[in-house]
Amino acid sequence: MTAPAEIVLDRRDGSVVARLSGEVDMSNATYVRDQLLASMPNEALALVLDITGTRYLDSAAIEVLFDVSRRLARRRQELRLVMPAESPLRRVIELTEVHTAAPVFGSLEEALS
Amino acid sequence: MRDRASQQAALAELGRQALSGAEFNALLHDAAKVAARELEADQVAVLERTHDGEGMLARTGSGLPDGVVGGVLPVDAGRLGRDLGAASSISAEVGSRFGVIEAHSGEQDHFTAEDAEFLEGVAGVLGAAGERAGHEDLMRDSEAQFRELADTTPALMWMTDAEGDVTFVNEGWRRFTGGTETAGVTFASSAHPDDREATVRLWTEAMSRREEFRCEYRLRHAASGGYRWVLELGTPRYSGGEFVGYVGTATDIHERRTMEEALRASETIWRELADTAPAMMWTTDTDGAITFVNQGWLRFTGTTFQEEMGESWALGVHPEDAEPMLASWEEALKARREWEGEYRLKHNTGEYRWIHDRGVPRIVGDRFVGYVGTAIDIHERKTMEGRLLEVYEREHRIAETLQRSLLPERLPPIEGVALAARYLPGARGAAIGGDWYDVLERPDGRVALVVGDVAGHGLRAAASMGQLRNAFRAYGMVEASPAEVVARINRLVMSGVDQVMATVLYLVLDRETGEVAWSAAGHPPPLVIAPDGARFLEGGRSVPIGAADPAVFREATAILPPGSSLLLYTDGLVERRDEPLEERLNELAEAAAAAGDELGELCEHVIAKVLGPGDPRDDVAILAVKPLPVADTEISLTLPAEPGSLAQLRRRLARFLHATGATELEQYEITLTICEAAGNAIEHAYGPGDATYEVDVNFEGGELTAVVRDTGSWRDKRGEHRGRGLAIIKDLMDDVAVEREDGGTLVRMRRRVGEDRAA
Repeated sequence: MTAPAEIVLDRRDGSVVARLSGEVDMSNATYVRDQLLASMPNEALALVLDITGTRYLDSAAIEVLFDVSRRLARRRQELRLVMPAESPLRRVIELTEVHTAAPVFGSLEEALS
Repeated sequence: MRDRASQQAALAELGRQALSGAEFNALLHDAAKVAARELEADQVAVLERTHDGEGMLARTGSGLPDGVVGGVLPVDAGRLGRDLGAASSISAEVGSRFGVIEAHSGEQDHFTAEDAEFLEGVAGVLGAAGERAGHEDLMRDSEAQFRELADTTPALMWMTDAEGDVTFVNEGWRRFTGGTETAGVTFASSAHPDDREATVRLWTEAMSRREEFRCEYRLRHAASGGYRWVLELGTPRYSGGEFVGYVGTATDIHERRTMEEALRASETIWRELADTAPAMMWTTDTDGAITFVNQGWLRFTGTTFQEEMGESWALGVHPEDAEPMLASWEEALKARREWEGEYRLKHNTGEYRWIHDRGVPRIVGDRFVGYVGTAIDIHERKTMEGRLLEVYEREHRIAETLQRSLLPERLPPIEGVALAARYLPGARGAAIGGDWYDVLERPDGRVALVVGDVAGHGLRAAASMGQLRNAFRAYGMVEASPAEVVARINRLVMSGVDQVMATVLYLVLDRETGEVAWSAAGHPPPLVIAPDGARFLEGGRSVPIGAADPAVFREATAILPPGSSLLLYTDGLVERRDEPLEERLNELAEAAAAAGDELGELCEHVIAKVLGPGDPRDDVAILAVKPLPVADTEISLTLPAEPGSLAQLRRRLARFLHATGATELEQYEITLTICEAAGNAIEHAYGPGDATYEVDVNFEGGELTAVVRDTGSWRDKRGEHRGRGLAIIKDLMDDVAVEREDGGTLVRMRRRVGEDRAA
C-alpha cells in the first residue's frame, strides 16, 4: 500500500504545470519523482509544481524536490514551486530551505510570469 | 320454453291412439301423463261430471297425491288447484258435458297461451273419444267422428280405406301442403319426387302385411314453397274386428333432419381436411369414445384406424402418465369442458414421445355431440426444457459468483468505525438480483456508505450493479453532497445505452461528530439504533436512479446520538407481498432494538427475526456501521515496518489529534514529526519480514508526548534527506531524545499543543 497521490499535467507558455494532490511520503516519493521528470520534454523551460492541493509532504518528498531541481538544472530547465501563503506545509518548506533549490511563488500566475 | 313441435307430435300420437280404437280409460290415463310431460306440469287431473251434475269425480291424473283419484269434488272451477297449492293452472272442457282436464304448477305464470292451446287439443281428442265410447252403437260412422276430431288438432292427419286410398286429410294437413289433396288420392303424391318411390314401396309393404307404417320423407310445404321433412306414422284401424284402412299422422322433423344432414356433410369435409393436416386430430362421441383419428395420428402411432376407435387408444399412453391424464379427461368430459394435457404416447418407433393434446366440446345447434381434439409432438421442446433448466441454473451460478465477486469480500478497515455487512442471494429458482453495498473513506475524512438494488435479475442486473458500484466510488470521492452524488449518477445512467433502474441509499457519516447526510433514491429509509431505541431516518427521499431525467434529488441531515449504530438494507429484507411495508419496517425496528451491540450480531439477529429461516425470496444486502468513541488521551499502535504503514499511521494520528483540539497546522507538524521518526524506524528494520515498530502518543495537560520504538539500530546520518528528517523532528518538537536500547532504538518527543509557538 502506498500513500494516495495524483499528478495532473498541463502545458502553459512553454512550461509544464504539474498539480500535485494527495500525500507524498517514502512509500511513493520515488514514483512521484519519476513521473515529474518524465513529464518534461526537452523544449520546456520550466516545471511549475503546484502543491496547493497537497495535503502531506515528508522529508522524503522534500528530497524529491531537491533531486528534481538538480536533474532539471543539468538539462537547463528550472523547477518552480507554487504554494499559497496560508499552506500548512509552509514551515516545513522553509525549514528545509527548499527555496535554495526552487523558487517559491504564492500563485500559479506569479510562477508563470 | 316447452317445445311446440314435441307437443304437436304428442297430440298427433294421442289422436292416432284414439282412432285406432284404444280403450277409453287407458286413453284418459295416457292423456294425463302426456299432458303432464308436455306441459311440465306438477299435476294433471281429469275430472268427470257426476250423473246428478252436483260433483266432479276425479277419474285419473298424473302427479296427484294419494286419495284424490276416485274422490268427488264440488263443482267449483279451480278448487282442486287451490287444494294442491298450485300457483298457476289451466284447464279445458272435455266434450260437451263430460268434464274437464286441468294442469297445475307450483310456479307463477308457468303456462303459456300455446300450452293452453295444447291442452284444448288434448281435451278435444278425449272429448271425441269419449263421445265415441259412450255412443259406439249410435256412431256407426267413425269416419265422420274422426273428421270432427281431427280437424280440431293442429297436427297433420290422414285416413285411408282398406284399399290404401286416402279418404281423408285433416285441416292441418291441408294447411301444410296447400290444400290440394282431397279424398281419393294417394298421399305420396305430395312427397318430394326423389322420396316418392321409397315412400310408396314402404307403404305398400306395410299395407300388404297390415303392419304399422313408419317413414321419413319430404312433404310439400305450401308456406315456404318447398318441401319439409316429416315423420309419418300409420296404424291399421279396425271396426268390429274388420280391417277398414289406416289412420296416420305426420310430424314436422325438418329442423332435426337438416341439422343432421349438415352435420354429416361437415363431418365428411372435416375428416378430409383433418387427414391432410400435419397435426394429429381426433373426435369422440358424447361418451368420450373415439370415433375418428386422422392420418397424422395414425402416422405417429403406426396403428390402424380400427385399433384407435373406442377406448383402446389409451393403451398407447405411457403407464406413468395414463392415470393422471385419464382422470383429468374424465373430469372434463363429465363437465363437457375443454381439456388439455401433456403425456407420453407410444410412437411408431416404439419409443414414447411427449405430446400436447387438447380437446374442445363440439356443439352443433345447441347440442353437445362429442369432442374434437388436436395433438402436437412436443418431445423436442419438452426435453429441451430440461436442458434449458440446466442452462438457467448455470447462469444463476455465474450471476451469483459475479455478484459476490463485485461485493467487497471483507469491508476495508476504516479508522474510527465498526462495520459489518451481509449479502444473502435470493432463493433458488428466483434469479440472482443486483443488490450491493459499499463503504469508502472520503478525502475529507468522512465515511461514505451505500446500499443499492438494481432492478431486474440475472447476469445483466449483476453487471449493472458492478458499474453502479464503481460510479458511486468515483463520484463519492469527488462530491461532498449525497444528493449531488446521486444526481450525477442519475445523469450518467440516463446518458448510457443500457438504461438501468436502481434504488439507492447513499449516506455520508462524520465519525467525529456523528453527523450524517443522506439521499434515498427510491430506497427504504436507514435505521438508527440509538441507546434509547430504534427509529428510521425520514427525509432525503427522491425517485430511483434511472427513473427520470431531469430528476430532483434531495438530501437530509441528522446527528446520531452517541453510541448509535446505523443499519442500511435493501428492500428484500422488508418487502413481502402479504404484509404492508409499514408493519415490516416496525418489525425491523423492533428486531434491531433488541439485538446486541456487536454489528455482526445485529445483522444476524435482524436476518433471523425479520426474514425467518431459509433462503429469502429476493436477495438481501445489509450494511451496519457504528462510529467508535474517540480516544483523546492516549493511543498505542504496533505497525509493520514497511513504508505503506505510514499512511495508516497518519489516519490514526489525525483522529487523535483532532480530538485533542490541535490546530490544522499543529496536526500537520506533529503528524510529520512522528512519521519522520517512524520512517527512520522502518529503514532500520532488519529486512521486510515480520518486523514492527511501536508508536505511543499521550496527551495530558496540554502537552503531547510521542514515543517511537523500533528493533533496529539508530543511525544519525544516512544521506541528506534522513538528515533533513532529523532536522525536521528537532525543529518542530520542543524536546527530542534518542535512546538506544537492547536491540532497538527509542525516540521520545514532546510538544505543547495550543500555544503560539515561535518558529
